[in-house]
Amino acid sequence: MDLEQELNRQEAKALHAVTRRHFFRDCGVGLGAMALSSLMQRNAAASIAPQLSHIAPKAKSVIFLFMAGGPSQLELFDYKPVLQQYTNTPIPPAYLEGRRFAFMDSSFPVDKVKLLGTQRKFAQHGQCGAWVSECLPHTAGIVDDITIIKTIETEVPNHAPAKIFMNTGSAQFGRPSMGAWVSYGIGSEADDLPGFVVLQSGPRGPRGGAVNWASGFLPTTHQGVPFRSNGDPILNLSNPAGISALRQRDLIDTVNALNEHRLDVTGDPEIATRIAAYEMAYRMQTSAPELMDLSQETPGTLDLYGVKQGESSFAYNCLLARRLVERGVRFVQLYHTNWDHHGGSGETLTGDLDKVCLEVDQGGAALVRDLKQRGLLDETLVIWGGEFGRTPMGELRDTIGRNHHNDCATMWMAGGGVKAGCVFGETDELGFSPIEDKVHVHDLHATILHLLGIEHTKLTFRFKGRDFRLTDVAGNVVHKLLV
Amino acid sequence: MIKALPTIAIFLAVLAPLHAGRASAAPISFNRDIRPVLSETCFKCHGPDGGARKAGLRLDLREGALAPLEPGVAAIVPGDRAASTLYQRVTAADPDDRMPPAETGHTLSPAQIAALGQWIDEGAPYQLHWAFLPPVKAAPPDVAQSAPAKNAIDRFILARQEAAGLVPSPEANPSALLRRVYLDLTGLPPAPDALADFLADTAGDAYERVVDQLLGSPQFGERWGRHWLDAARYADSNGYSIDGPRSIWPYRDYVVNAFNANKPFDQFVIEQMAGDLLPGSTVEQRVATGFHRNTMINEEGGVDKEEFRMEAVIDRVNTVGTVFLGLTLGCARCHDHKYDPIAAKEYFQLFAFLNNDEEVDLRVSSAEAEAGIARAETAIAEAKAQIVAYLAESAPQQVAWEEALTLPRIRSFTEPEQQALLIADEKRTEEQRKLVLERFKQDDETIQRLEAKIRRHAPRLEGVPKSMVLAPRTTPRESWFLEAGDYTRKSERVFPGVPAVLHDLPPDATGTRLDLARWLVAPENPLLARVTVNRFWQQLFGRGLVETENDFGSQGLPPSHPELLDWLATEFVDRGWDTKSILKSIVMSATYRQSSARREDLEHNDPNNVLLARQNRLRLDAEIIRDAALSVAGVLDKRLGGPPVYPPQPEGVTKLGQQQRDWNASVGGDRYRRGLYTALWRATPYYGLSVFDAPNAQETCTRRIRSNTPLQALTLLNDRSFVELAQAVARRLSTMPDPSPEARLHQAFQWCLARTPDAHETALLLELYEAQRRAFAQDAPETVQSVWGAAAQASPENAAWTMVARALLNLDEFVTRE
Repeated sequence: MDLEQELNRQEAKALHAVTRRHFFRDCGVGLGAMALSSLMQRNAAASIAPQLSHIAPKAKSVIFLFMAGGPSQLELFDYKPVLQQYTNTPIPPAYLEGRRFAFMDSSFPVDKVKLLGTQRKFAQHGQCGAWVSECLPHTAGIVDDITIIKTIETEVPNHAPAKIFMNTGSAQFGRPSMGAWVSYGIGSEADDLPGFVVLQSGPRGPRGGAVNWASGFLPTTHQGVPFRSNGDPILNLSNPAGISALRQRDLIDTVNALNEHRLDVTGDPEIATRIAAYEMAYRMQTSAPELMDLSQETPGTLDLYGVKQGESSFAYNCLLARRLVERGVRFVQLYHTNWDHHGGSGETLTGDLDKVCLEVDQGGAALVRDLKQRGLLDETLVIWGGEFGRTPMGELRDTIGRNHHNDCATMWMAGGGVKAGCVFGETDELGFSPIEDKVHVHDLHATILHLLGIEHTKLTFRFKGRDFRLTDVAGNVVHKLLV
Repeated sequence: MIKALPTIAIFLAVLAPLHAGRASAAPISFNRDIRPVLSETCFKCHGPDGGARKAGLRLDLREGALAPLEPGVAAIVPGDRAASTLYQRVTAADPDDRMPPAETGHTLSPAQIAALGQWIDEGAPYQLHWAFLPPVKAAPPDVAQSAPAKNAIDRFILARQEAAGLVPSPEANPSALLRRVYLDLTGLPPAPDALADFLADTAGDAYERVVDQLLGSPQFGERWGRHWLDAARYADSNGYSIDGPRSIWPYRDYVVNAFNANKPFDQFVIEQMAGDLLPGSTVEQRVATGFHRNTMINEEGGVDKEEFRMEAVIDRVNTVGTVFLGLTLGCARCHDHKYDPIAAKEYFQLFAFLNNDEEVDLRVSSAEAEAGIARAETAIAEAKAQIVAYLAESAPQQVAWEEALTLPRIRSFTEPEQQALLIADEKRTEEQRKLVLERFKQDDETIQRLEAKIRRHAPRLEGVPKSMVLAPRTTPRESWFLEAGDYTRKSERVFPGVPAVLHDLPPDATGTRLDLARWLVAPENPLLARVTVNRFWQQLFGRGLVETENDFGSQGLPPSHPELLDWLATEFVDRGWDTKSILKSIVMSATYRQSSARREDLEHNDPNNVLLARQNRLRLDAEIIRDAALSVAGVLDKRLGGPPVYPPQPEGVTKLGQQQRDWNASVGGDRYRRGLYTALWRATPYYGLSVFDAPNAQETCTRRIRSNTPLQALTLLNDRSFVELAQAVARRLSTMPDPSPEARLHQAFQWCLARTPDAHETALLLELYEAQRRAFAQDAPETVQSVWGAAAQASPENAAWTMVARALLNLDEFVTRE
């Protein structure tokens, strides 16, 4: 039985390899040479030399902890004592020239707002002496394993466009997301789970929804698959009521046998792909529940993350993310809302910021520690950050909060070939702009692809007569960030 | 040079089988042999984009290529490759001199270089890009194998096959053909009696009568309207982060009705572009402008509304480009187009046509109802205004009311209300003020009288649908050339105008949307008819004659059958833009009716089936997979039109957006309506559709991807709605008079696949049935019941039939049109 299953599996794999080649030959959309060669190489014997993977990959997988809403770098990482001195004073005019701020027309009359220093206590941590505020005690404990980048620049100040900018490199709709590009470019090593998985926590879903993990004009096979932490992790994963695994197997066997028969009659290789898809679907039915089953995790691991059994949370998703990359999943994206601290009810820079920090701090830090202790951090790139930063001036709502700011935000990265114990980039003394080592989102994307062994200018897809890239027409690998 | 010629001939014969029929001595064709090379490797720096042009050299125009770069030096010297800098540079030995530069990643093959040389020697003649030349109707060619030809279309196809030494495939067997044409024209499989009638009908025109019947059925408009809705980026929500609901479904119904009524396509275009500007425009014509209201709306706090209004206008320009012109106009938003002769300024001249509108909601009601509705609306508006005016002056009344409140009365209020009332007015928060005001309004006689008036009139407005439309603006907006497409960077005023490379506006044009609409459908437009018939072809063969259906520009692929494309385009116009007539010609052709089975010889000679010596097997569109399942289960509710419906879907799908919405599944017939009526939320699309590649309406979609994934397998296997449909098939079977498993199997098979199973298929399915029946006989009654779906008549046999039905609905053939 086991032998036969294994034979079936091998056979399905072989079919799959054949049909992928067919797909790329026949599908009529001009696929980039890189994607073709890497897929050929992965699925068939390694007989065709990869043409473009000329960068040695450092990272095998990416875990992107997306802090949806835009965390305030000034309360967390970007320590600005000068700004504190100037609290309640007007913005020096030199800082306003040529700038766009969200809400400028209504709740934010730019001539009336005042600078706002943080109320949070900052301290230096680790060997590297990185400044981290009291809000993130666990993250403060891993500063020697991460690189904090204080100079992330993006181009748009509203949530939905900024989110898709961070995810797709463009504020225009219809572009593929980073995870889809990566899946398209180098595929996935998991053959019983999707290559790009999305997990969510927090009080609401990310703005824009599925656009954030869409495949755009790439084949839909590459889009992110949201896993849920309650019920079936993947939609329609469970067998229908009354159907045992054995019955389901019988059914799939019959379907596949009939499909093979039709393949003989019509010769259409697409049928072979469908047979392979049913085999993978069946494997997912086993592997996904196994993935979600934490009973094999030690109490020590659960405590490290702060996971409570049966309770969905960001920390739980962090642990799942580790289990996903262990199983070869290429790109995992975790969304956690709500970081939009304008100062209104439910979005204060005080209690509400504390709440969301508490929700993410331990899980994110535990993920880095856990990956490291298992020897996985070197091959896993962990990224933490949101769609933009927040303004150095206060915004008066019910309380004083901060507005959207696209000129600088702080993110951190760990593992996967990125330096450890490093603080990168410098902003001006009020925290308005980068003054040293600015990292535009395109640069960030170029760097992430580079770490995965992909030359960002060569990962292209022709659509409407143009070769599109994740990095559009820009982007430079930030070599100073690399080990 | 003498050596080079044979090399080119061999190269073209080997790598370009499409042109294999060309004699090797034939001169170079600029559009076929040269433009694609220049476009791909040179235009980015030496093309239409003035901002990015290097060395002042422009190669997309002949005068640019011949112009002196410095005295006595030109990129191209006609008739003399050796004197032409272009040829010198592409053959330069020094890598620093060689074009294209290495860093572009482009290289020219020896054959391409040889072709450039030959072309220069032949005088370097240029041609306007093929798509900008007017279509020319050629007589269908004479073909040797005339027997298979059913109409003119076939002769164009056969001529190319003959030149390549191919023979067409035989006609598909009748049941496969019937299922194909049913699915293509109506999106539903044939019912068993339709199949039986067709198989029994031996008259020569049996197929044609079926085609006529299908083109006349209301389901035709649903099927072909859905293709159009993809292009129109129709959805029932606003998109972006909030993704609030919108009412624009009357536009969807307009599209379906237009296809069913076979509205002349030029009229269809005019109404969608500018129906509101037609003299004496009807409600229907105004609803048609919803085409341009299918843009998204950003409802997020803090956005600059003008920015996103402009984004919507930009989307309209881009959509006009893709849908009606097959051009990538959007590229010229930020800079001159890099490949096609569209300047950025021309982009904003088009923008200026579409920048003068009000975005309004139109009540979709009959003229008779309108007077009463308008009265009610006025009354409500007046009452609301009176309330506002009264409240503005009501401070004294409110103070008096507060003072008169007794303690027991206050105690009966909610706790937040009590707290608010205990604080002095000036110290109340905004929220507390609102609470107090609401309480006051409930007690105040004037307010109550006015609110009663509103309630009295409200019912008349209920149930009157609204649809989002365009209306002309009384004071026109100024339009500007925006630098880098940035709405904050206005550089110079622009006025409505069309790209110089295309035909002129009518002389009496004043720059309205209606002028643009008339320009689009003008007989001189070389693009609209070609682009449209190409998409019709694409729907019926899986690929257009121009494969890049959204790019007829110089980066697009040239047509595989240029003469046929032009023949169809000119016929379309000559027949009065008659959509059904053109579709009928295509589905009547022998080319369409061929078997789709793969052939060994074609796998070698024409692996991509460009020459169409067989049909293509195509996976069904998302909606059609479910529609077909509803149909074979006998539960399809065929009602046309109306508000969107909410068929069941897995829990939690609509919780993935920022606004975590509930999905309250419809009850009754609305659970079983066709897929195009399913509510489409842009941020959280209906899972059963998106998993099968339905577009998410973020931007225009003129060609769907057809993926083949494990998530689709899980959906067909386990999604509750598909399981319910399998149960319905089994229930249908259980009422059959002939209880033998063979008879039932044949019946179910015929429902699902419109054919009789062969011996092997029968054996496999009966084996499944027997094995499942035996297994269910050992199972607990509850298991059997849950598989069968009900307590009544739950038996191992019936449960086993449910499994057989599930198998059938999961077959590749079920989700494929062969």
